[in-house]
Amino acid sequence: MDNIKANNSGFKPEDFKIIGCDNADSDAMARPTITYWQDAWRRLRKNPVAMISLVVLVIVIIMAAVVPIATGWDLYAIDAVNKNQGPSSIHLFGTDSLGRDLFTRVWQGARVSLIVAIACTIIQAVIGCLYGGIMAYFGGIVDDIMMRIIEIVTSVPSLLVNLLMMMVLGNGMGALLVAMCITSWCATARQMRGMIMQLRESEYVLAAETLGASPKRIIIKHLIPNCLGVLILNLATHIPQYIFTESGLSFLGLGLQAPEISLGNLLSAGQEQMMFYPSQLICPSIVLVVIVLAFNLLGDGLRDALDPRLRQ
Amino acid sequence: MLKYTIQRFFAMILTLIIIATATFFLLAAVPGDPLVTKAERLSEEQKERMYAKYGLDKGVLERYIITMKGFFVGDFGESITFPGETVWSIAEAKLPVSARLGIQQMLIGITVGLGLGIIAAMKKGTWADYTIITLSILLISIPHLVFGLLLQYIFAGGVVNILPTIGWPEGDELWFGGWEYTILPTLTGCFSYIASYTRLLKTSMLDVVNQDYVMTAESKGLSNMRIIFKHVLRNSFIPVCTNLPMSVAMCITGSFFIEKIFAIPGIGLYFTSAVQSRDLSIVLGWTVLISAMYIIVVFITDILYTVVDPRIRIRGGKR
Repeated sequence: MDNIKANNSGFKPEDFKIIGCDNADSDAMARPTITYWQDAWRRLRKNPVAMISLVVLVIVIIMAAVVPIATGWDLYAIDAVNKNQGPSSIHLFGTDSLGRDLFTRVWQGARVSLIVAIACTIIQAVIGCLYGGIMAYFGGIVDDIMMRIIEIVTSVPSLLVNLLMMMVLGNGMGALLVAMCITSWCATARQMRGMIMQLRESEYVLAAETLGASPKRIIIKHLIPNCLGVLILNLATHIPQYIFTESGLSFLGLGLQAPEISLGNLLSAGQEQMMFYPSQLICPSIVLVVIVLAFNLLGDGLRDALDPRLRQ
Repeated sequence: MLKYTIQRFFAMILTLIIIATATFFLLAAVPGDPLVTKAERLSEEQKERMYAKYGLDKGVLERYIITMKGFFVGDFGESITFPGETVWSIAEAKLPVSARLGIQQMLIGITVGLGLGIIAAMKKGTWADYTIITLSILLISIPHLVFGLLLQYIFAGGVVNILPTIGWPEGDELWFGGWEYTILPTLTGCFSYIASYTRLLKTSMLDVVNQDYVMTAESKGLSNMRIIFKHVLRNSFIPVCTNLPMSVAMCITGSFFIEKIFAIPGIGLYFTSAVQSRDLSIVLGWTVLISAMYIIVVFITDILYTVVDPRIRIRGGKR
């Protein structure tokens, strides 16, 4: 029976030979090992849209840092002769209704908006991580109570809370930071808690523990990279929202108020003048949209780059 | 199921009480006296009566109890800046305006968004897909503040002069009519819905397409159309439903900016001006009312999912 089968398929026992079984290099790495961050950076670099937005962002940040100092125009000094001018080689974006150079003012506004957004993001990250970490660490009743608090804070539309806080604390930079951070940390805290709880129950952490890895090693090798990826993503998506909320509050007259300069103030001043001098509205609008767009597109790229499950 | 609903209902009431309490004490901490400019020229006796009318002569705790009692019997307080206007009279006058704006935005935005999402998912990888997705990212990045201002500029004579850019239909035309006034505000608001729902439905459809039951349907020889409408779409609507309460919140607060830009006499414009003039009782009443509206919407959608999706019902029953 066996012979017939062999003959039918055209193979004879002589056709096969033992070449040996050499397992010596089976556990050697086929490729050089790269860390999570190298891998993420490699994937981000392959994404042209994300890289372009990164370059745009760097340019925007440099402009916001340098332009208000470098142009030499005073931010506040009124020049009655040169008011409401259109864009020219002297005033790149023209001047506003009080004759102040709009190019300088728009970049100063962008600087303020960026500083506010980044400061809020840092506050949000610190509070969110601490809160989420405590929730995940203690669990049980502490976790329950802290979760209820988050549910209550998030059950009010956040703009409402922002407005109330601005009303209580008055207008100013510190008040604005508090008002904007008071609801946003909840999202981070929830995510960090979920991430830590999920990691604690995952098989690979169990495997690492079984292999005798110390808690320190588990925290450094598994907890931080996983959480940091999620955290960075969370923060990257929040920055444009902060910029938007800040300009929105200022536009409603409840954020930073004139003479303070922010993109929201400039927009609101631009709306008053837009019928006759549209450049005063369009210039700050374009800068605002470019900043938000760049952050959003970079955030999209980061989402793909930082997801450990996509790692190949 | 019933037990879950009742539990959720009481949790909702408790949340509202906590929100009202927190708002009350927050506002009690507002520096300054809301009556100080009004009472400046009054005699001592008149002043006393005025403070007594708004209960400001009592201590914080006593005021708190009175306010909370008021909330339970539906008395949300009276305006300090405009005597005679109560939270309810304002609701009667302004709520329809905001509601129409919100409903128009959401109806158009979500319908168009879902339509584009279906196209993007069905034509995955073609130019149609790329165009739709790129446009939706672009649209989501333009804050509706900027979008509204630019639209207003374009249509107020900057480029063309065919639509009114300020105001809102009133009187008989409150709900139907005066459409030309509503076009620009609606357009401003609906783009963010279009953008988010397009992306949401596309992702969720592509998730569902890879499920086993779709493969089963294919192997049964069902037509593509039948698979999409019977199996894929129904299941991919679940995450869309989950997003609806978020949209309602977005609608309430997003309209604040739109109402300010187009000078629409709705709740948002009134609330912001009340905040600016430190009209404490109105701010308190409206904060509680807006939060209540939002929480009730979330509550209803939560209960509705359990009807729509049996998988959630099982989880809900276990709670």
